[in-house]
Amino acid sequence: MFRYLPEQGSKIAPRVDWLHHWITDLSVLFTVAVCGAMLYFAVRYRKRDGKDHETPRIEGNNFLEVIWTVVPTLICIWVAYYGIVIFQDMREGEGEALVVNATASQWKWEFQYENGKSTVGELVVPVNRPVKVVITAKDVLHSFFVPAMRVKKDAIPGRYTSVVFTPVKTGSYNTFCTEYCGTSHSGMLAELRVVSEAEYGRWVNDRSADLAKLTMDPATLGSKLYEEKGCNACHSLNGSRLVGPSFLKLYESEERKFADDSAMSFGGEFSIEDYIRESILYPNKKVVAGYPAGLMPAFEGQLSDGEIKALIAFIRKQDGSAAQSEEATGDSGEDLQAKLAKMSPVERGEYHYQTKACIGCHSLDGSNLVGPTFKGLYGKNREFVDGTSGAADAEYIKSSILNPNGNIVAGYQPNLMPQNYRDQLSDEDLEAIVEFIRSKQN
Amino acid sequence: MTVHSDVAHNNKNYLNHETTLWSWLSTVDHKRIGLMYLFTITGFFIVGGLAALTMRMELASSGADFLSPEQYNVLFTLHGAIMIFLFIVPGIPATMGNFLLPLMIGAKDVAFPRLNLLSFYIYVVGAFMALYALLNPIDTGWTFYAPYSMQTQSAVILMTGAAFVLGFSSILTGLNFVVTVHRLRCPGMTWDRLPVFVWGLYATAVIQTLATPVIGMTLLLLIVERWLGVGIFNPAMGGDPVLFEHLFWFYSHPVVYIMVLPAFGVVGEIIPVFSRKPLFGYKMVCYASVAIALVGFLVWAHHMLVAGISDTSAIYFSVITFGVAIPTAIKVFNWVSTMYKGSISFDTPMLYAMGFVFLFMIAGTTGIYLATLAVDVFYHDTYFVVAHFHYTIQGGAVIGLIAALHFWFPKMTGKMYNEPLAKIAFVLVFVGFNLTFLPQFVLGMEGMPRRYFDYLPEFEGLHRLSSYGAVVNGFGYTFALLNLLGAWIFSKKQAPANPYNSLSLEWNTQSPPIHENFEETPSVTDYPYAYGTPVEGGGH
Repeated sequence: MFRYLPEQGSKIAPRVDWLHHWITDLSVLFTVAVCGAMLYFAVRYRKRDGKDHETPRIEGNNFLEVIWTVVPTLICIWVAYYGIVIFQDMREGEGEALVVNATASQWKWEFQYENGKSTVGELVVPVNRPVKVVITAKDVLHSFFVPAMRVKKDAIPGRYTSVVFTPVKTGSYNTFCTEYCGTSHSGMLAELRVVSEAEYGRWVNDRSADLAKLTMDPATLGSKLYEEKGCNACHSLNGSRLVGPSFLKLYESEERKFADDSAMSFGGEFSIEDYIRESILYPNKKVVAGYPAGLMPAFEGQLSDGEIKALIAFIRKQDGSAAQSEEATGDSGEDLQAKLAKMSPVERGEYHYQTKACIGCHSLDGSNLVGPTFKGLYGKNREFVDGTSGAADAEYIKSSILNPNGNIVAGYQPNLMPQNYRDQLSDEDLEAIVEFIRSKQN
Repeated sequence: MTVHSDVAHNNKNYLNHETTLWSWLSTVDHKRIGLMYLFTITGFFIVGGLAALTMRMELASSGADFLSPEQYNVLFTLHGAIMIFLFIVPGIPATMGNFLLPLMIGAKDVAFPRLNLLSFYIYVVGAFMALYALLNPIDTGWTFYAPYSMQTQSAVILMTGAAFVLGFSSILTGLNFVVTVHRLRCPGMTWDRLPVFVWGLYATAVIQTLATPVIGMTLLLLIVERWLGVGIFNPAMGGDPVLFEHLFWFYSHPVVYIMVLPAFGVVGEIIPVFSRKPLFGYKMVCYASVAIALVGFLVWAHHMLVAGISDTSAIYFSVITFGVAIPTAIKVFNWVSTMYKGSISFDTPMLYAMGFVFLFMIAGTTGIYLATLAVDVFYHDTYFVVAHFHYTIQGGAVIGLIAALHFWFPKMTGKMYNEPLAKIAFVLVFVGFNLTFLPQFVLGMEGMPRRYFDYLPEFEGLHRLSSYGAVVNGFGYTFALLNLLGAWIFSKKQAPANPYNSLSLEWNTQSPPIHENFEETPSVTDYPYAYGTPVEGGGH
């Protein structure tokens, strides 16, 4: 009865659940017995015909008092004992654990692995190996809770706490913050991904995403964020009015008028950078005249200082010189089409390589990231995971772009590359990318 | 003792012997002060209840509906702070306790009547501070955990200041009751003849007097830290947030017994009267109240089992917590055994008392999960805790208060209420309450954390069920309270001095009582549960 606990993802989970179910069954038994007796007495000894019948003056019974003191006491001792034993095993774990550092802050979880790799909102661990998550917080109290693993521990600023668990099944599990931490407490989720040992090794040693971000110049990173965070839905780059004000020439403005009839000129104590930063973090503090308040989500706690600087750098670049605003808007606009038409196929291919995210996983310098490098790829013989092999000719490259899982190169993972390039690329674009790859022979 | 149904009736009573507004505002009559508390806390019950209903409406479907996360966080803070500090802590002791304690022990008033009025006005000052704090609402949760309470922009100082002031009201009431029970019992009212409700109030008063100063001190430190920037709890200034949790729960755990012990007492009064049987195991029931009050002081950190206390402390606090379960179980067994071979009538107070037994069985057994260390790790700060807490406090303390209001309504107002309507209200409250909180146990089992403005889609069905339940529950309370209020204002039915043929002293004077309580000082020769025909081996 009442078996609603989530799936058992860790080694300790079945033991916790065993005790839990014992308590449930005993609780149901006692509740039914007590309430059953009460209802039975209520019916059996009810007052009939509106007249009291004679009742015996029974004032108590020492034997019964002893029974119903001793029996619950023994049951409580038994339950408490197993609660402690299982708790101790839960805290100790078995064998040498993989250590991951978790840092909670309003409102995200950052995880750092032993080799320095770090992630936000995603914890990846190997299956069947004890994992110790060492937890701390930057600002206020938080709590790390993975229901499937049956572990929870508060994150406390200035202290280190930990949980230990041994995942037994690969898969993806919910992770919650369970100590109230302010506005977006309920949005402070993370994903725990339990993967095979081999996949974990590959994943943890793949540092390409970190490197790519580190090496990006601020304005490029800003343009990436402009799309990732959804700014582009409401803020145009060409001066046209969307839901919010355009970014075009925003950086050069000397004064802004606000909805509450106030105005502010920049350059004194409050610089335009301060204004942009404040508008990103607390959008409702100063709403530009003519635009509605309350629509933009506050990004407080969701962007690092570096990311805010990158966005400011990006906005600074929107100074009205056509080329830049086109580049940033990406793949739309007639001017862009005209410009692309003027390019050579190799240039067009490079443009797509940079704007269609190929750059994230395929290097040009021979290093292997998430996917194989493009350097010297053209014409090379490829070995696939299914044991077959084939030459990397134009047809192979095109089919790998459109249907990435058709032939997976030995040593790489399926399902990582997007499978929707058919919608984004024309046949001409595909030819251009082939030409671009062919140009990277050495 | 014999049943006194032939009490002389005169037209003067505590309600009408003086009628000016000033006579109420300056009264030192414990009965009037009890009524003034009753109306005030009912007002706050309505405010806190509306906050809860608004939250349940927001949670009826996943995603943001009509509240922002900030508004939601303010609402659950207000719901908690108002319900705890302004409604349920004064709850039964300040209302029913004030009204009944002197009557039940045959006294003319409490030991310090003017101090009693001062308690009320301190409460009013605290209440106004809390109301003023609503203008710049606070979003820390009623627990004010540091360091969030140091950083948030809201009116933390004002709200904690209000709780600080309200604490003094609670301390003074507790002190007054302790002295009253010790000093003002009428001739023959020995400790083993005290009504169980008085035992419950006494145990409560001890906790109020001893534990409340700790929260006062803690909140004062919080105010000092926030105001003057002294690092006490904020780690950024070298403080320790876990210390705040310890100090906070050192009061706030015993305080749940301030809420629920008087309700135990109410149930212990009602069941014998409507079963026409002595309270089974009277002494055990009384000692159990005191045992709960004492053990209750030693278990505070079970609120912190995953909060960074050492594993050794966690083990200690888990074990001691089971110590609360035993006396509570003893009480329940004794209440039910009282009904054995009784002559049971199902008046509204008895229905509430029986409902209380069912709800408290669930409250108590779910408490076992939370005391069990390995299981609490999973349940801490989930909806399971929310449901458990509401079963103890709403299912226990609030249902106890509503039961008491119906039971002593004839004594307080001199009127009888409409019985069929009261029973319908009971059904609505009972069904609505279970419909609200049973699904929350299941949500907790599935891992749903508490204080969440939004939730994953898989939790939606149970949340919606819970929201429907809250509407029924709210409707039930409204119905019950309007029925009582309507009866008081409109009913022509005069209540007799002792409508239930109870043996307790408060029924041994007219309804409503005269200003002085009794025409002459009563005396007693037996405990107030000597119902039924004496049998072999009888006597307590």
